[in-house]
Amino acid sequence: MMSDAAAVPKVETGLVYAHGLAALAALFISVAFGILASIQLLAPEVGAGTPWLGWGRIRYAHTQGIMLGWLGNAFFAFLYHAVPILTGRAVTSVRLGRWLFALWNFAVMAPGWILVLTGVSQPLEWAEFPIGVDAFVIIGLVLAGVQFLPPFFSRGLESLYVSSWYIIGGLIFTLLAYPMGNVLPEMVPGAQGAAFSGLWIHDAVGLFVTPMAVAILYFVIPAASGRPIYSHFLSMLGFWLLFLVYPLNGTHHYVYSVIPMEAQITAVAASAILGVTVILVVFNLLMSLRGVGVFPRDAGLKLVAMSTIFYLIVSIQGALQAQMAINQAVHFSDWVIGHSHLAMLGFATFAAAGGLVHAWQRIPWARYNARALTWSYWLLLVGVVVMVASLTAAGIVEAYLWQSNAPWLESVRAARPFWLVRSLSAIPITAGFIALLVGLTTGPRGAGLDAIDPVIRLDSAGEAASLLKPVREPVGEPA
Amino acid sequence: MRAPPGRPLRMAYLAASIAGVAFFAMSVALLGIWPGRVLERQIRAMSPDRPLGLTVSEERGRTIYSREGCAYCHTQQVRYVHADVMRFGAPTLAWETRFDFPHLWGTRRIGPDLARAGSVRSDDWHYAHLFAPRSIVADSVMPSYAWQFDGAPGRPKQGARDLVAYLQSLGRAREIAGPEGEARAHERCDCPNDAMSQMAFASPINASPARTRTGSDVPALPNEVDERRGRILYAKNCSSCHGPDGRGDGPGAESLLTAPSDLSAHEYTTARVADALWNGVAGTAMQAWRDHSLGDLASMARVVQRFHTGQDATVPEDLVALGERVYAAHCVQCHGQDGGGNGSAAAELTIAPTNFRIQRPTLSQSLRAVREGVRGTRMASWTARLTEPEIVAVAAYVRRFFDAEGGR
Repeated sequence: MMSDAAAVPKVETGLVYAHGLAALAALFISVAFGILASIQLLAPEVGAGTPWLGWGRIRYAHTQGIMLGWLGNAFFAFLYHAVPILTGRAVTSVRLGRWLFALWNFAVMAPGWILVLTGVSQPLEWAEFPIGVDAFVIIGLVLAGVQFLPPFFSRGLESLYVSSWYIIGGLIFTLLAYPMGNVLPEMVPGAQGAAFSGLWIHDAVGLFVTPMAVAILYFVIPAASGRPIYSHFLSMLGFWLLFLVYPLNGTHHYVYSVIPMEAQITAVAASAILGVTVILVVFNLLMSLRGVGVFPRDAGLKLVAMSTIFYLIVSIQGALQAQMAINQAVHFSDWVIGHSHLAMLGFATFAAAGGLVHAWQRIPWARYNARALTWSYWLLLVGVVVMVASLTAAGIVEAYLWQSNAPWLESVRAARPFWLVRSLSAIPITAGFIALLVGLTTGPRGAGLDAIDPVIRLDSAGEAASLLKPVREPVGEPA
Repeated sequence: MRAPPGRPLRMAYLAASIAGVAFFAMSVALLGIWPGRVLERQIRAMSPDRPLGLTVSEERGRTIYSREGCAYCHTQQVRYVHADVMRFGAPTLAWETRFDFPHLWGTRRIGPDLARAGSVRSDDWHYAHLFAPRSIVADSVMPSYAWQFDGAPGRPKQGARDLVAYLQSLGRAREIAGPEGEARAHERCDCPNDAMSQMAFASPINASPARTRTGSDVPALPNEVDERRGRILYAKNCSSCHGPDGRGDGPGAESLLTAPSDLSAHEYTTARVADALWNGVAGTAMQAWRDHSLGDLASMARVVQRFHTGQDATVPEDLVALGERVYAAHCVQCHGQDGGGNGSAAAELTIAPTNFRIQRPTLSQSLRAVREGVRGTRMASWTARLTEPEIVAVAAYVRRFFDAEGGR
C-alpha cells in the first residue's frame, strides 16, 4: 500500500480549481436562462421586445450552457483530480491544461452563448452552438484526449479500474459522435438529417454525460467510503454493455415517424436493453454503498449516492417511455422535459457536483464549508423532486388532452399550474446552487481535508488509489 | 496476492474495444446511414416530379424560424399516430422534408404542430399574432416578435413578412401535388396496405380544425345550450378580436383586415353563426372552430346572437321602392337577387358578400357600410355614386331580406 501512495503524482490542483469555478459560473448563467425561460411560459411579456431575451434563444443558451459549460468544466475538474490517482501518472501538460481551459471557456462557451443570443445558431437539439463554435469544441475534445488519455495507455489495459474505462470511452466516443450530430444534419435534409439528430440527442447524454458521470460515481464511492466496489466483474460487464447499447438508442426520439420502422424498433428494443443494463450498473453501485447507506455524511459521497438513485429512476423511465405505446402518448409533452431534467439536473448534476466537491475537498489550500454543502444537497434534492414531479404530471395531463377531442389550447391552459410549480422549484434549486458555491468558497482553507471521516482516514491520494484497482487484492482491506 | 490476469484479459479488452467502436459505427450505419438510403429511395419514388421548394423570402423566413427556436415549441412532423392525424392531417412523408436543411422536426409541442400550418390562417392573423400573440389568442404563451414590426402589426418589417411567407408555405408542396401526386406516391411507395399506409394516404392532408373552408355542410347545432358556458368560451376564444360585448373592439381587432364583425350590430340566424364557427370566414382572420364540440358551438352561437339588442329606427315605406331600385342597379351582382349573397360576381370574390337573408345589420351599421365601404373587402364606399336619400333607402332596403327562421 505504501508503494501505491508513493506512486501517485501531484494533482494539478490549480486546474481543478479553475475548472471548478468556471463550472459554477457556467452553472449560474445557464440556470438563469432556464429560470427566465420557465417564467416566460407563465408571463410571456417578460423580456418581450428584446430579441436576445426571446424564449427560443435563451432555451438554446440554457441547454448548451448546462451540457458544455457546467458539466464540461466540472468533468474536466474531476479528471484533473482523478486521472493521476487512477493511473499513477501526471496529466500530459499543465500548459496544455491552461490552453484547454481558455479554449473551452473563451472560444466555446463565451462566443457560443453570445452567438446563439444574437441569433447565430443551429436549430438542432443539444447542438445549438453554430458550426464555427463546434470546430472549437472538437479541438477542445482532441486537447482533452491528449491531456488525459496518455496516462491510461502507458499503463497496461488489465490494470485499469472501471472509472478509467468510462473516461477513455467517454472522451473517444464523444469525439466520434460530436461531428455526426452537429454537422451532418446541416448537410442531409429533413427526415434523413433527423435520423442523425436523433442519434446525437442520445449520444450527447449517453456517450459524453453518462460515462463521465458514472466514472465519478465509481471513483467517489470507494474513495470517499474507504470500501472497494462490490464487483469489478459487474462493473466491467456494465461498462461494455452500456457502450454497446447506448448508441443504438437514438431513433427512439422519432418513434412513429417516417424513419424506417426497422430502425425505430431497433432503437426501442435497445432502450429496453439499456434499462436492464443500468439496473445492473446501479445494483453494483448501490451494493458498493453498503455500510455508508444512501445518505452518507461526506458531502461529495452524499451527492454521488443520490446521483446513483436518480440514474436508476431516469433510466427505467427512459426505457419505459421509449416503448411505442407509451411514447405515442407522452412524446412531445412536459413528461419528456421532466425526464431530461431528471437526467441532467438529477443524475448528471448530482454526479458532477459530487465529483467536484470530492476533488475540491482534497485541495489543501481550498476553502470548504461542510454545512453549506449539506444545505446544498437537501435544497437541490427537494428542488429536483418538485420540478420533475410537476413536469411529469403536466405531461400526463397534456398527453390525456391530446388524445381527446379537446382544443389544443386546453393543454396549454391545463399545463400552467404545473409550470408555476416548476418555476417555484427554481427557488430551492437556485438556493442549493448558491449553497454549493458558498460551500466551496467559504470556510477555512484546508477544511476539506479535515472534514474527511477519521474512521475512513483516506486523506492521502495513494490510499484512495489503492481502492481504485481493477482486481481486489485479498490482503488489501484497510485496517 | 493473485497473479496478474495478463494476456487473456488483454486480448478480451482489445476485442471489446474493437467491438465498442464497431458498435458505434454500427449505430451510425444502422440508424443513420441505412435509414437515409431507404428514405432517399422513398423520396425518389414518391416525390412529385418537380416539387415546389421555398422562395428566397420563405428561405429567409425559415432562417428566422430556426434562430428563434420556433421548432422547440412547434414540431413539424405529423406522426403515424391517430391523435396526430386527427389534429393535423396525414403523416409527414419523407419527400415533404427534402428541402429542410437542417430539419425542424422538434421534440416538444407547447403549441400545435406546424407541418401543415400553411393556408390555415390569414396573413393578417399571423401578423397580429406575431406582434402580440395574446391580443388574438388570449391564453397563448407564445413570445411576441414585435421587434420584427415597425411599431404596429399592420407595419411588418421584412423579417415578419419573410416569416409569415415561410409559415404559409408549410405543407404546401404536398397540397399542390394534388390527388394525382397522392395517387402516384401511394402507388410507388411499395408499402403493404396496412394501418400506416391507410393513415398516410386515406387521411385529409390538412386536418386543422381552424382552417377555413367554403361550401362544406354544417352539422345541425343542438337546441339545448348552456349560456353560462357559452359566455366563458366566448371570453376565452372570441373576445380577443370581437371584444367583450361583441362590438368588434377586442385588442386583436385593430390590425385585422377585414375588421372583426361588430356582433352587436347584426341579427344572425343560428345557421349563420353555426356556419361561421364551423367553416370560419374564408379570406378573413376568422378561423374555424371545429375543435369545439357541437354543444359548445351552440352555446357560443347563442351568446353571439344575444349581443344584438334594442329596437331599430323604422324607415318610411316610401323609401322601399327607391331602395329596391338602387339595390337592383348596384348591389345584385354581388349580393344577389334576393339578398342571399349569391350574385353572379360573388363566386369571384375572396371574401363572400354578406348574405342578408341570414344576417341583418342594424340600420346604422348598414348605413356605415354603404357610406364607408368595408375595409379589406370589395365593398366600396358609395357616397360618390349615390345620393343621400338613395343611400338611406338602400341601407334600409337590405334589412328586409332577413328571415329569422330561414336557413336552418
